[in-house]
Amino acid sequence: MTETLDQALDSLTLADLEHGTSADGIDFVRVPVDAIPRLVDAVIGAGFGRFIDLTAVDEPRRADRFELQYLLHSMQDQRWLRLKARTAEHAPSIVSQFEAANWYEREVFDLYGVLFDGHPGLTRILMPDDWDGHPLRRDVALGGEPVQFSDNIS
Amino acid sequence: MSIETRPDDAEMTERMSSTLTPSPMNGNGPVDSATAPHTLRINMGPQHPSTHGVLRLELELDGEIVVSCKPIIGYLHTGTEKTMENLTYLQALTVTDRLDYLNPMGNNLAYALAVEALFDCEIPERAIIGRVLLAELTRLNSHLVWLGTTGIDLGASSVLLYTFREREVLLDFFESLSGARMMTSFIRPGGLADDFTDDWLQGVSKFIDDLPARIDEYEALLTHNPLFKDRMVGIGVLDGQRALSMGVTGPVLRASGISHDIRKARPYSGYDQFEFHVPVGSHGDSYDRYLVRIEEMRESVKLCKQAIAKLPVGPVKTSDRKVMPPPREELGQSMEAVIHHFKLWTAGMKPPAGEAYIPVESPRGELGFYVVSDGSNKAVRVRERAPSFANLQALPIMARGGLVADLIAIISSIDPVLGEIDR
Repeated sequence: MTETLDQALDSLTLADLEHGTSADGIDFVRVPVDAIPRLVDAVIGAGFGRFIDLTAVDEPRRADRFELQYLLHSMQDQRWLRLKARTAEHAPSIVSQFEAANWYEREVFDLYGVLFDGHPGLTRILMPDDWDGHPLRRDVALGGEPVQFSDNIS
Repeated sequence: MSIETRPDDAEMTERMSSTLTPSPMNGNGPVDSATAPHTLRINMGPQHPSTHGVLRLELELDGEIVVSCKPIIGYLHTGTEKTMENLTYLQALTVTDRLDYLNPMGNNLAYALAVEALFDCEIPERAIIGRVLLAELTRLNSHLVWLGTTGIDLGASSVLLYTFREREVLLDFFESLSGARMMTSFIRPGGLADDFTDDWLQGVSKFIDDLPARIDEYEALLTHNPLFKDRMVGIGVLDGQRALSMGVTGPVLRASGISHDIRKARPYSGYDQFEFHVPVGSHGDSYDRYLVRIEEMRESVKLCKQAIAKLPVGPVKTSDRKVMPPPREELGQSMEAVIHHFKLWTAGMKPPAGEAYIPVESPRGELGFYVVSDGSNKAVRVRERAPSFANLQALPIMARGGLVADLIAIISSIDPVLGEIDR
């Protein structure tokens, strides 16, 4: 952790955030999902002003099954930072802070079904609009999809 | 569909209008009808020769001027990330070739680095330097295709003949090395699939020596061509701050004046041992994006030369038997080697539980695979951070206020690969 980042985290009243370093050498901080916008403000202040990636990891056996993974980058220090937040369904949108997050939040909604509150237009992005379900959830099995446009197959 | 089940005209009209409703999704916001009273909504793609794949754009035009542009993606979505969760780590490598099909070795490298970060295994020096050589050859391959197709999009169709002449030679090199022209799967977790032969290295060395003169040829066709400059200079401007806030990376970001290259910022695979400079533009227009990529090709040539000169003698596979199988000759003498061989080719490698993302500089920008392992032989999650995805998100900003014809030039100057956008 850099000093500025430590200070930014200390300044929040979020006591005892779980944090550490992953196998790739990137620091991570795990936050309650409602605190994401506040924490994003804080880390932007600490220099992590670039949004790189947002994705999710699904663990169906856990009540708050989706773990969102925000990846941010600091141009000054050339460091990457990962924010993790667990949610069962809803998460606050950060499009007002990072306009680049727009398509990424749509993708997580599309593939996992996480609803981003405050997103300007949360629609499917990769799957067809009339698709039923969210394919990247771990409890959606491979195969077994009905074949589309099969009217004339006897 | 039979005549009876055909929706009636009123229903069709309603469907059309509902799909074409103005939306704030494209970053431009809904168009103010007071300022744009005579706009026409038309659809471009998904099957269009200039969209470099199956990209659909919903355009709102005022005459020839683009008022708003909304990219609609997903036509090439094949569920690769889901597929990779259901394959072993080595099998999943073959999927990475198919994401950005112009940069197969670069994708292999990004994936291999992430898996190796989980194992924390030593990679032999010959493999590390060899990977740089392969990644830069692939960058040349990708930029050659981009240059040829950009020429076609602007009506300069002869450029493609020249660039594909060199690309064919490159693909022949890939084929003789890995057995496949495009889907190479050659850079693997733990090293390389096979060693380079001296003949192959000599062939590449000669090709690399000839290439700067060939790049001069391409430049003679385009760089000072007034017709080309008319279509590129000042078109599709993206300023540096906006590029940063849109998450744009790679040549598009550097053309906007931001010097950021992962090879320098967070050197991977020994790039810190190489001397090269990062070309940066200043205007952020299509022409600067063209110039940056041309310069990058010249830098790649330098990197390839250095890599061939540096390439040490030695193994190309890690000695970590949990990642790479033992050499054939050990199998006759060592029971342990037989067990490792059997376990690797039946169950596959099992990285320790954890997560890893190693960013690399692909021809299009920051590429990385976020791999989450639970200690089993299949990943819990493999996510590709695709540079084209973020770059394409910035298209409406570049396209707004330009001509429809310029939109074609802007798309090719972004150089999107829909294979990695839709995944």
